[in-house]
Amino acid sequence: MGKYVLKRLLHGLVSIILVVFIVMVLVYGLMNRDLVFAKDGNFGKQTNNNKRTYMLQQWELFGYLDYVPYADYMLMLRQNGEIDEETRAEAVKLGRAEDGSNDSELSAQYIKQFTDYYESKGYTVERLGAVVSRKKVAAGGQPALFAYKDNSLLERLWKYFTGLIDVDNIHTVPEYNDIGKRGLTFTLYDPLYGGEKFSPAIIGNGTKHKYLLYFDSHFPYIHQNLATINLGVSFSVSRGVDVFTTMTQSQGSWVQSVITYPTGLTELSADDLHTATYIEGSRDTSEMLQARFADDYTNILTVRGSYSRLGYSFVIGIIASIVTYILGLPLGVLMARFKEGILDKAGTVYIMFISAVPSLAYIFLFRGIGSAMGMPTMFDMDNVTKAMYILPIVSLALPSVASMMKWMRRYMIDQMNSDYVKFARSGGMSETEIFFKHVMKVAAIPIVQGIPGTILFAMTGALITERVYLVPGAGGLLIDAINQYDNSVIVGVTLFYAVLSVLSLILGDVLMATVDPRISFTEKAR
Amino acid sequence: MEDFSKKYKLSDEELFAPVNHDDLASEKITAPRYSYWKSVFRVFFRNRVNIVVLTLLAILIAFAFIYPVIIHYDPAVNPYLNLTDMGAQHLNPKKAIEHFGFNIKWIFGTSGQGASTFDSIWHGSRLSIMLAVICAAINMSIGIILGAIWGFSRKVDIVMNEVYNVLGNIPMTLLISVMVLVFSPSFWTLVFAMTVIGWLGMAYYIRTRVIIIRDHEYNLASRCLGTNIFKIALKNILPFMTSVIVLEIAAAIPGYISYEVFLSYIGLGINEATLGRLIQEAQNAMSTPGWGWEFWSPVAVASVITVVLYVVGQNLGDASDPRTHM
Repeated sequence: MGKYVLKRLLHGLVSIILVVFIVMVLVYGLMNRDLVFAKDGNFGKQTNNNKRTYMLQQWELFGYLDYVPYADYMLMLRQNGEIDEETRAEAVKLGRAEDGSNDSELSAQYIKQFTDYYESKGYTVERLGAVVSRKKVAAGGQPALFAYKDNSLLERLWKYFTGLIDVDNIHTVPEYNDIGKRGLTFTLYDPLYGGEKFSPAIIGNGTKHKYLLYFDSHFPYIHQNLATINLGVSFSVSRGVDVFTTMTQSQGSWVQSVITYPTGLTELSADDLHTATYIEGSRDTSEMLQARFADDYTNILTVRGSYSRLGYSFVIGIIASIVTYILGLPLGVLMARFKEGILDKAGTVYIMFISAVPSLAYIFLFRGIGSAMGMPTMFDMDNVTKAMYILPIVSLALPSVASMMKWMRRYMIDQMNSDYVKFARSGGMSETEIFFKHVMKVAAIPIVQGIPGTILFAMTGALITERVYLVPGAGGLLIDAINQYDNSVIVGVTLFYAVLSVLSLILGDVLMATVDPRISFTEKAR
Repeated sequence: MEDFSKKYKLSDEELFAPVNHDDLASEKITAPRYSYWKSVFRVFFRNRVNIVVLTLLAILIAFAFIYPVIIHYDPAVNPYLNLTDMGAQHLNPKKAIEHFGFNIKWIFGTSGQGASTFDSIWHGSRLSIMLAVICAAINMSIGIILGAIWGFSRKVDIVMNEVYNVLGNIPMTLLISVMVLVFSPSFWTLVFAMTVIGWLGMAYYIRTRVIIIRDHEYNLASRCLGTNIFKIALKNILPFMTSVIVLEIAAAIPGYISYEVFLSYIGLGINEATLGRLIQEAQNAMSTPGWGWEFWSPVAVASVITVVLYVVGQNLGDASDPRTHM
């Protein structure tokens, strides 16, 4: 069994990689890359040379290419200790002319070095002369020198999967930053709780996250930042935030509480100090941060009162699934038991209605009926009442009840004609006995196979239902990303779906084999 | 022999004529004539509901395909005819008839641009039905042929299962939107996008069915007797699958109409006035009291079309199962 599952997992992994590859071909290869600026408000503000460099910067963010401005190269040389600060500051100045005729001697030397270095690595080096109007450099017209190279699809795929899981270590903060002694400290008394309450934590210095492992009062109570999933940075859906964080971060209004900052300052705030990450030199730039923090771990998420996108989708989806099983299975069984009866006929009409009518139509119909009965039709994150969940859950559950009824009835009726049932009948068992003791057990097996999928896919949310009732769930994420050309979200969400689908198939088979002793996946038993 | 010729005074030649052996006649079996498709339609029309539903379907198709031709509906002109008539916008049927006088085109009221909702709906229905039928025809034909090969050949099965695992995980909405962006948001782009991997589901379904029937004893016997694989597929397996195939096609056509409505609603539709597009354009009007007709009438027509197609298909599927022909 274990070997079989492992084989299936490896198979699934290959499928997932191929799916991501195809999706990358679709979004990076086929779509015009200028489209990323279609919804970008900043793009219109860029002029002259800045427009060109802005485009390249954005493309780098979107993962299209690798872009290195000359200034970054010089900074890198400085950080490697190859040149001193004075040389850097002098050499980084570019002359106005595009052909380099009025560069200083020092600049010309490093420009040549830059050009040779990147051209040898297959980059395209481009130099833009200053845009001059009335002897002054026009807005955005500063001279520019940079190198860029398109990422090939395979390279991108490789980078994506190798960077997928980010393991934090004490060398994450660049070595030239003097941050004192690097290392991990394990404490039984979390300093954030005043250092007296028992609460184990691992605190890092030199890591990206300050708290690598900690306990708090929010579900699931124990949190870790040692390994983070890195699905790619969202660009337009939620700017600058990782896709995985977008899906799992809590939403809604801030929840404030009295917080003691590392400097001892006490204040009413929604900051969650456990989420602190390192930002180079940030403390020096702001007095507000200096008053609160003792180091550069200043980037902090806030505590918000509502569930995450995944959370809302999951709560609604899982309740709807439970309702589906509770209603659909008995109804299907009864339809089969009293075949051609009134319940069977009514059920068939209902199944037909749900299968034929566009989902949009019946969701709006349910909404209309619900609002006529006085139920809230809008989801409001800040004043959530239980009644708000009713209509989305009903709209999700009713259609799946229909399909559950359909399949359960089908499986039951198929079993009713099999030999063992005829044998049981000839042996003198009553119809009801046969039905509940024998047929139901066998007919439920294909249903059992679908359970893991139902649970896992409850997380992805339902697109139309969430849109109609304004539920802030995960269902619309892919469509939002597509509409806003947010490539990394598209790839990230697809990866997420693919993982769920592979897992649910494997888990479904495993569960089925556990329930049904006749099914075995080991070679010997066959 | 001698006796006969004496008795009747006739020669042997006159009494007896050699009869040619007729191979064809000897093949004939005296049994009631059975024509498969005749029986299918006999069973189908035995159910009175089907006659009603079929009539309804005929009316719907007539409205979708003939009515726009009669009124010379032009999607570039008709929706904008009353653009300047401020009093003609967002009218419910009663007000529209008051405003324009009675004409069948006002029975669903007017749109936000003052155009007749009735006219737009039938033009949209025509596009939606055509889209659904074309997509279903392509996907079903490819699906059935490839599914049969997939089911018969074990080597193809191994490869195709992997292909299915990979392609099945590509979000359909993503594929369609990329196609629409790469090409143009036109009718044929959508057909292409929906059929690129759309046949996969049907093929997989057929493959599973073929595998179930393939190894039955009678097929094994047939193969031992030397029947070639095409004959087995056509004569031994296809008859078993006819009703299943009809059922699948029946579910697919309304399915594509619904899917087009869904795509348009989420903003991935095409730039032609399909039913989905009408619904999407009217969804903002829905929240204003009194403007609901614009939204609900295309939704209702779409629902009626899909339900009618679905019922006809289901019952035709039931009728095409030979076990019901007794």
